[in-house]
Amino acid sequence: MEITWGLLIVIYLFTAGVSAGAMITSNLTLLLGGKDFERVGRWGALISPFPISFGLGVLLLDLGSPFNFYRLFMTLQVRSPMSYGSWAILFFTLLSVVYLYLWLPQKLQIVGEAKALEQWKRRLAKIIPFLSVGVASYTGLLLNAAARPLWAAPLLPVLFLVSALSTGVAAVIFVSAITPWQRARQGELHLLTKVDALLIALECFILLAMIVMGRLSSLSVAAAFGSMIYGQFAFIFWILIVGLGLLVPFSLEYMELKEKFSVRWTLPVTIGSSFLVLFGGFFVRYIITYAGQLTRWF
Amino acid sequence: MTVRMGFVIITSRCIDCDACMVACRAENDVPIGKTRNWVKSSGVQGEFPKVKEVFQPGNCMHCEHPPCVSVCPTGASQKRADGIVIVENSKCIGCKYCITACPYDARFANPETGKADKCTFCLQRLEQGLKPACVQTCLGKSRHAGDLNDPESVVAKLIAKYPSRQLLTYVGTGPNIYYIDEVVPEIPEGK
Repeated sequence: MEITWGLLIVIYLFTAGVSAGAMITSNLTLLLGGKDFERVGRWGALISPFPISFGLGVLLLDLGSPFNFYRLFMTLQVRSPMSYGSWAILFFTLLSVVYLYLWLPQKLQIVGEAKALEQWKRRLAKIIPFLSVGVASYTGLLLNAAARPLWAAPLLPVLFLVSALSTGVAAVIFVSAITPWQRARQGELHLLTKVDALLIALECFILLAMIVMGRLSSLSVAAAFGSMIYGQFAFIFWILIVGLGLLVPFSLEYMELKEKFSVRWTLPVTIGSSFLVLFGGFFVRYIITYAGQLTRWF
Repeated sequence: MTVRMGFVIITSRCIDCDACMVACRAENDVPIGKTRNWVKSSGVQGEFPKVKEVFQPGNCMHCEHPPCVSVCPTGASQKRADGIVIVENSKCIGCKYCITACPYDARFANPETGKADKCTFCLQRLEQGLKPACVQTCLGKSRHAGDLNDPESVVAKLIAKYPSRQLLTYVGTGPNIYYIDEVVPEIPEGK
């Protein structure tokens, strides 16, 4: 057994999730939060196009015939998640650039009238979330379609969606807390932190359900999940994902929400916990990609 | 009835000479380090003096429901009307999705072409009325290929006469290589 899809694919899976998650964060804070959440909404929009663009570049590098990539857009293969996924990420990336433009400070908006742009911003914010959910979850379907025991897990698209939302929110928290310009207010960070804590809890539950279902499934599937919980991927799973990526940031966020930290420590804790969520999210993609290929049917 | 091309492999007749792998490489210019077919060993089983080792040759199973074909984003991976699974190189972008999707690991990324590569049933030989190179060269007559749906073919006759098994049927791919483990003293005449 060798690895066909390596780190480049992991990077793509991670960055696409971060972009989709940051986009949804921006859309929802705009639609539901309005002016009070302007800073996190803006940062979500400003971040969103970049991780996925980087991921797409990396994806191109992974192709055996990169100059043939346009073939993806000459057809729609309805049975191939990669085919409809490619169309989804194409439209998502284009729209995310348009959306970014709509969030630029007024003096940088050369084209368009301020009022019309504001309207378009809200219109796009209502459409893009659907596309974002597609971008965040189709990668799970993509792995589902490849007949491998670990990837047969039906909860994989849900895991990827929740992980994408969680890392997206974390990316927005991280950037809007660390920046000197347009730094998020405490109220904004408080809400996002609450959402992120909920998402982490949900992700823990999905992981648990996946493992229980997997371990109760056929021998090959049980062995595949075994490689994660006590086999060669145990360190990554328990320490890097469950420990540093889920439990530690959840505890930090929980204590922060209960105001256990002095004011001086609030910002560093916010930045630290959101970084850990991103760190853990990367290894979720890593472990699924690698363990999925190193385990097989027997 | 429609043509359904497939293989019958008699494990009891395989001596692990690997001539099928050499013949395939020579016929199809398979790059060194990669292979379109293989011979797997069971390892030594039992205890001295009652020991045995079984060899199981294989290649693309030309499945009834090939996951490599359904996952292909550009339509490069195809199943022909006669059941043979091929890659149309001009459409292949080298995304390697089909390689990960194959539960038999029958495909590889060709480092020279950048495309997915696999057993083609030696189409170029088939068109001339010849058997695939691996079948032609097999000195133990372990490998057989032909139309599984044609009762006059060697493969259909073998399956009719001996119990056979397929690999990973529960994955749902419908593989078209039938393995016969029993001793087959004589190979029937046929197409």
